[in-house]
Amino acid sequence: MEDKRSFWSVFYEQLASLKFTIFILFALAATSLVGTLLPQGGSQEEIVARYGAAMAKIIDMLGLADLYHAGWFRLLLLLLGVNLIVCTMERLPKTLKLLRYRDRTVEPEKLLKLASHAEMKTSFTWDQVRPVLERIVSETIGPVRRVEMPSGDGAYAAVAEKGRWSLLMVYVVHLSVLVVLLGALTGSVFGFKAFMNIAEGESTDEAEPPSGNGVFQLPFQVRLDKFDVSFYEGGMPKDYRSDVTIIDGGREALKGSVRVNDPLTYNGVTFYQASYGSVLKQAEIEIQNTQSGAVYKLTLPFKEMVDIPETQSKIMAMHYEEDFSGFGPAIVLVVFDEGAKPAVSRVLVNHPDFHGNQFQNYRVRVLRTEQSRYTGLQVKRDPGVWIVWCGFITMILGIGAAYWMGSRKVWVWASTGAGKGGVRIVVAGRADKDTFAFEQIFEDLCEQLRTELKAEDANAAADGAPKAGSRKNGQEIR
Amino acid sequence: MNSSLLLSIVTFGYLLSAIFYLSGVVFQRKPLLAAGGVCGLATLLLQTAALGRRWMESYALGYGHAPFANLYESLVFGAWAITCIYLVLERRLKQRSLGFFPLLIAFMAMAYASFSPEVDSKIQPLVPALKSNWLIAHVVTCFLGYAAFAVSCGISITYLLRDSKLSNPNPSGFMAMIPEPRRLDELNHQMVLFGFLWLSVGIITGSVWANSAWGTYWSWDPKETWSLITWLVYAALLHSRSLKGWRGRRVAKLSILGFTCVLFTYFGVNFLLSGLHSYGAK
Ligand code: HEM
Repeated sequence: MEDKRSFWSVFYEQLASLKFTIFILFALAATSLVGTLLPQGGSQEEIVARYGAAMAKIIDMLGLADLYHAGWFRLLLLLLGVNLIVCTMERLPKTLKLLRYRDRTVEPEKLLKLASHAEMKTSFTWDQVRPVLERIVSETIGPVRRVEMPSGDGAYAAVAEKGRWSLLMVYVVHLSVLVVLLGALTGSVFGFKAFMNIAEGESTDEAEPPSGNGVFQLPFQVRLDKFDVSFYEGGMPKDYRSDVTIIDGGREALKGSVRVNDPLTYNGVTFYQASYGSVLKQAEIEIQNTQSGAVYKLTLPFKEMVDIPETQSKIMAMHYEEDFSGFGPAIVLVVFDEGAKPAVSRVLVNHPDFHGNQFQNYRVRVLRTEQSRYTGLQVKRDPGVWIVWCGFITMILGIGAAYWMGSRKVWVWASTGAGKGGVRIVVAGRADKDTFAFEQIFEDLCEQLRTELKAEDANAAADGAPKAGSRKNGQEIR
Repeated sequence: MNSSLLLSIVTFGYLLSAIFYLSGVVFQRKPLLAAGGVCGLATLLLQTAALGRRWMESYALGYGHAPFANLYESLVFGAWAITCIYLVLERRLKQRSLGFFPLLIAFMAMAYASFSPEVDSKIQPLVPALKSNWLIAHVVTCFLGYAAFAVSCGISITYLLRDSKLSNPNPSGFMAMIPEPRRLDELNHQMVLFGFLWLSVGIITGSVWANSAWGTYWSWDPKETWSLITWLVYAALLHSRSLKGWRGRRVAKLSILGFTCVLFTYFGVNFLLSGLHSYGAK
């Protein structure tokens, strides 16, 4: 037969296929793996230094240095979503039809073709058999529903079923995957992530986005009242805590603390404890004019200009380094002279005799420094996070249900004809999972029928074998 | 008797149990299999006591945390979970011939934890990032998943061994005790789905925790990424069963691949890659 289907219908069929699903799942796994081997988020220079220029070019072209945010990686995620949607559209109508399906007839010949089946004969009358039969089946499987057959010949037929709804659980799992993807997308489109450093006593509304360029303006101010770090006896850190106040419209709107594992949220913006350090508050220095020998003591508040006595110059502590190349703390001083370029010098706090502790014709000694702590807070707003949580919960429930729930069905057919050598009963069953456990259940059911109805296995009776025919499908139990 | 001594006994208990199981299958002696089961259960109970003891000891030291906080403790818990899941399976199936691999893996985890110089068995205090109720939920669920995958890997190896004698549905020799491949395949699928459930819960609790600790529920840190890779491989496995020709051998091989990913997520990331989860590192 000629294949005249259009390109699109073939394409659609591929898109809806499980093969494609497996391809995408493996593709995502493989590319994620590459991302764990290459350093992510580093600068171009680092990559060139590490892999050489040629390789760096390829890495850059494929976006491998920031793989998880590369367009093609997102395309893979998108394809997974499309595959899921198309697949669901293909299958859900069939499943729904199956859910509505009701047996209209039950044919004993067909039942005997199922893997789990039994055929037996009893000399009890139908009136005695029926209640026993229905009770045993409903006790093991579930409510028994009589099937009224149009061409009945007076035969009795019924089905009992459990867990038909479990067919839908797979759809719940798949829906949850879509919901998680949607939540992540929402967060990346409508949310933001940034970082802020605040010194004790100061307040700011500026944060730095991860890209490193520009500032992110918050609609309110954050003040750090106090930062605290405590240690265990052995020196391992025990707790980091920032006490902050949110100032909104000039008013103290919220006071609270931010600790690791215990963030603070205000107006949808959440603050997380991320890092800490110290900054200079003020430094007391002694400067000596090497020409005149005069010595002055100055107090330099951080980043404020101070006049140097008897000169036109001004001096400022511009920068503080907690550890300069292993020499301990250092202060960067800047001297401003009218009409000249500012002179910059780095002064070591703990090494007063260091030859670099000078500028122009002055020697500098740091007498005392006063530091204050600063805290590093991660700032985030993610309106998609609730969608992601919903997806997570749905996913757990769905997979749990897919594991624990299964459908089981038992068909019963019986000849009600009296007198002709008793009642013939045919039972068959099927389960969609845990089929070996079901076989056991089915056998127990048949065994119970045989005992209570004093029934003989029909084919066993025919060829004179003992009742062991019931072991046909079973496993020997070890 | 302190917990470390108890845990050393546990190591040998699992070894003994694995030897019983193996010899039971090789010599086709059911009493030996039963001995493996009894020994495994006794050891599991002893280990439970040891874990409880270690928990109490951590309170005595003033740290007070559940014994899931470093590489040593997680290995010990991993061995516990594998044995526990296997023994439940054994009870449910009334089938004892699959005990060798799970108990062997449990033994190896315990032996590695106890004897490797890289693994520090001291009870340590929790650093701030680990101080969370999510710690217990996250570690316990991840390890239930890993343990189910370990059992599934054992079933898969058994499957591949058993299946090579497929032409003979009633093999002689030590394969006689092993269930037929069709049954192993179904067992394997159930085990993987069970593991997949717990791995999913583990990843989810981890990401909810990361969200409260670091402000992001997913940061593509190597450990996170590797657990996702593992998850994707097992998702592929669950679906590949429905593909023509994949049921059976290929699924068994995928399960072994999946468990390799588990091992890499657990060890490889700690020792070879760096990231937020430096928790297992020295
Ligand atoms: C990350 C994405 C996915 C996850 C986590 C997932 C998860 C699951 C789970 C847990 C099951 C139940 C397995 C079982 O009961 O043994 C399942 C079954 C199924 N999934 Fe997915 N799935 C995903 C993607 C897809 C996609 C994209 C398709 C589209 C073709 C798909 C099609 C199916 C089908 C047809 C079944 C039923 C298979 C069977 O009856 O054996 N899945 N899935």
